[in-house]
Amino acid sequence: MSLAEFTPSEPLTLGVELELQLVSNHDFDLSPQAQDLLRLLGKHAGTWDVKPEITRSMIEISSSVQREHARLRAELNDLREQLSQAARRLNIGIAGGGTHAYQHWSDQQIFPTERFQYLNDLYGYLAKQFTVFGQHVHVGCEDGDKALWLLHALSRYVPHFIALSASSPFVQGVDTGFDSARLNSVFAFPLSGRAPFVHSWEEFGQYFDKMASTGVVKSMKDFYWDIRPKPEFGTIELRVCDTPLTVDKAAALACYLQCLCSYLRNEHPYEPADDDYLVYTFNRFQACRFGLDGEIVDPKTKQRAKLRDDIIRTLAHIDEHALDLKALDASNLLRDSLFEGNDAGWLRKQRARGLPLSAVVEGAAGRWMG
Amino acid sequence: MPHVVDTWPAPASAPSAVPWSLDGLRGADPVLGFAIVLLVAVVLGEALHRRLHLPRMVGHMVTGALASPLAFRLLERTDLDPWKPLIDLAIGVLVFELGSRIRPRWLLDNRSFALTCLLEGAFAGVAVTAVLYMMGLPLVSAALAGAVAMSTSPVITLSLVHEIRPRGQVTERLLMTTAANCVLTMVTIKAWRVLAAADAPTWSDELIQAAAGAILVVSGSLLLGLAAGWLLTKLSEAIRGVAAAPVLQIAVVILAAMLATQWKLSPLLALLVAGMTARHLMGHMLIVEPHLGSAGAALGVMLFIALGMLFTLDDIVRLWPWVLGLVFGRLGGKALAVGLLARPSGLSARQAAALILALQPMSSLAVLLTADTLGWSEQLPGIEQRVLQSLLIATTVMHVVGPVLAQWALNSLANECPHASAKEP
Repeated sequence: MSLAEFTPSEPLTLGVELELQLVSNHDFDLSPQAQDLLRLLGKHAGTWDVKPEITRSMIEISSSVQREHARLRAELNDLREQLSQAARRLNIGIAGGGTHAYQHWSDQQIFPTERFQYLNDLYGYLAKQFTVFGQHVHVGCEDGDKALWLLHALSRYVPHFIALSASSPFVQGVDTGFDSARLNSVFAFPLSGRAPFVHSWEEFGQYFDKMASTGVVKSMKDFYWDIRPKPEFGTIELRVCDTPLTVDKAAALACYLQCLCSYLRNEHPYEPADDDYLVYTFNRFQACRFGLDGEIVDPKTKQRAKLRDDIIRTLAHIDEHALDLKALDASNLLRDSLFEGNDAGWLRKQRARGLPLSAVVEGAAGRWMG
Repeated sequence: MPHVVDTWPAPASAPSAVPWSLDGLRGADPVLGFAIVLLVAVVLGEALHRRLHLPRMVGHMVTGALASPLAFRLLERTDLDPWKPLIDLAIGVLVFELGSRIRPRWLLDNRSFALTCLLEGAFAGVAVTAVLYMMGLPLVSAALAGAVAMSTSPVITLSLVHEIRPRGQVTERLLMTTAANCVLTMVTIKAWRVLAAADAPTWSDELIQAAAGAILVVSGSLLLGLAAGWLLTKLSEAIRGVAAAPVLQIAVVILAAMLATQWKLSPLLALLVAGMTARHLMGHMLIVEPHLGSAGAALGVMLFIALGMLFTLDDIVRLWPWVLGLVFGRLGGKALAVGLLARPSGLSARQAAALILALQPMSSLAVLLTADTLGWSEQLPGIEQRVLQSLLIATTVMHVVGPVLAQWALNSLANECPHASAKEP
């Protein structure tokens, strides 16, 4: 199978996907009730979509194509409201967060579709361990070349999104010490990491053909890169965010990406280079491990800086674009969160109050469902 | 626990009988005999589970039945008496756990499901009453059988949930519906007493007394349950010891059950409400140990042996049409209500079928626990003996068939047992 043509789309348009946890209202462990929820939402009133995910305790929701923060936020809130109403009818909770704090991977059941069964056969227990929950943001691009340029230019900011969205400190009942432990699960997959440094869609097509000829990949879905092009939609897809605990944060993160893309496209502050990736995994690790307190190395200047400070500076640089894109509220929400701490910090605070992990999950579900 | 209706004479063992012969075992100390039966039950339960994938409780009950006067008469039903406090405790803890496991708020969030909880019991009761009445039994007796047939055995349901660890919509609904139909049965039996008294041509003192008594029992049990749940919360706060928590729970369960019996209230309702109250007040701090650990596992086996010893098939040749009427009337009533409300309440057809089958386990405990006191049969004057015996036979049948059906429904139909196909170590 060869690479699909890149479908042009309106630049800077947005789409948000959120993977969500379905939890039992009794013990707040994951509950395999995705089919029940999907059945109730079969005739929902909204332009958004809801789909199954790899295990039966997860669902994925996706917004329609959006241009502005206010509308995106309104749609995500409508979606949240309808989803919560359906969940209450089933006596289950819905929570954000990149991992469930104490679910056991072997308890999970693969959702019965051909694709998920294929993944289960291919990856074995990794498929069930992939019961992690991320936010993916799509940004529209006019052509494949522009999409690849943007993809590589954004690599410098990947740690920002990891640290801002981090909400997965607990795994299998233990505090991992990471703010985002979810990405460690993603890293276990052989085709994870970053996209190859190619400039044009034609070159990318050649790379894809070579990979496809080895039989390792069949479609773009087989790449679990942090940012990957999505030719069918005409977008690039940022995949490093944990699902935040609230939809407001999810909308703000999406608009931060939109503003960054606008800044990069219009101001060309630098030209992406292969050497940018020399520090990529180090910066990525710092963001996962220490969150906003992590230290990153600027790939161009080689200077070290606190992630929090780097985000503050970046927010200042993109304010003008935020104004143009009507995303100032989103920027302000993120600016505030830099001092309040990310969602991983909130989850740890609950635990530090002496609450059992089940109560922490209940608190998270309470925040998501409202 | 069972205030057994029969009085089989204890057989005198032949003085010369060797200890390992049937006669020798019959002559052994009942406590020793029960301990031996306990060992056999564990082995048989495990063997049936491994070879035929039957729930272990079936093996335990079959062992009880084999040891009872129904088969080898190794033990008399009165031999259960020394074990009665432990068996009562096992039931009490399971009912308390059931209360703590359900979330009444769900009934407000899903009105169609609330209606299902109400109607599946009601339809089963009406269907059984109608079928038995049409088969020529007096209305009053048929109505009592209908009231008893409403309920699903909370003990079998919860033990099965412990054993196969299902997770999903059908399991959650099974637990809630079981709790609801047990309460409904208790209330209906109270109403039956009122109706039975209303045979008098006028609004007699007896009727008023019966109605007042019913209200008193329901409200008294509610209050007692609330008080027990509150007491457990306060004591847990004061002690704050994880190790002491199960001991406190046991103490409160015994206290609530004893007071309910002494004050002629309903132990079932009181313990259910106590569990719900404790869950509401304590939230995540309430950890109800399933089966109270390994000691509780022994209690569970004892409980099912005791249930097996209550099995009876006496007079089945004469009573089988009524038994069939009862079993299938009950099945039809529950199926109608669950089926009608499946889609509006958010259940698929397959899940509805699973829920209907999972609701089939029926237990004499439902009768015993829903009575004012354990001496329930004496409180139901005028009940026809053949109705009572038909009920007991139907219960025996559903004790054996019910758990198997429920396990199959949860595992194969609803697909809610991820570990069922896993290889055991």
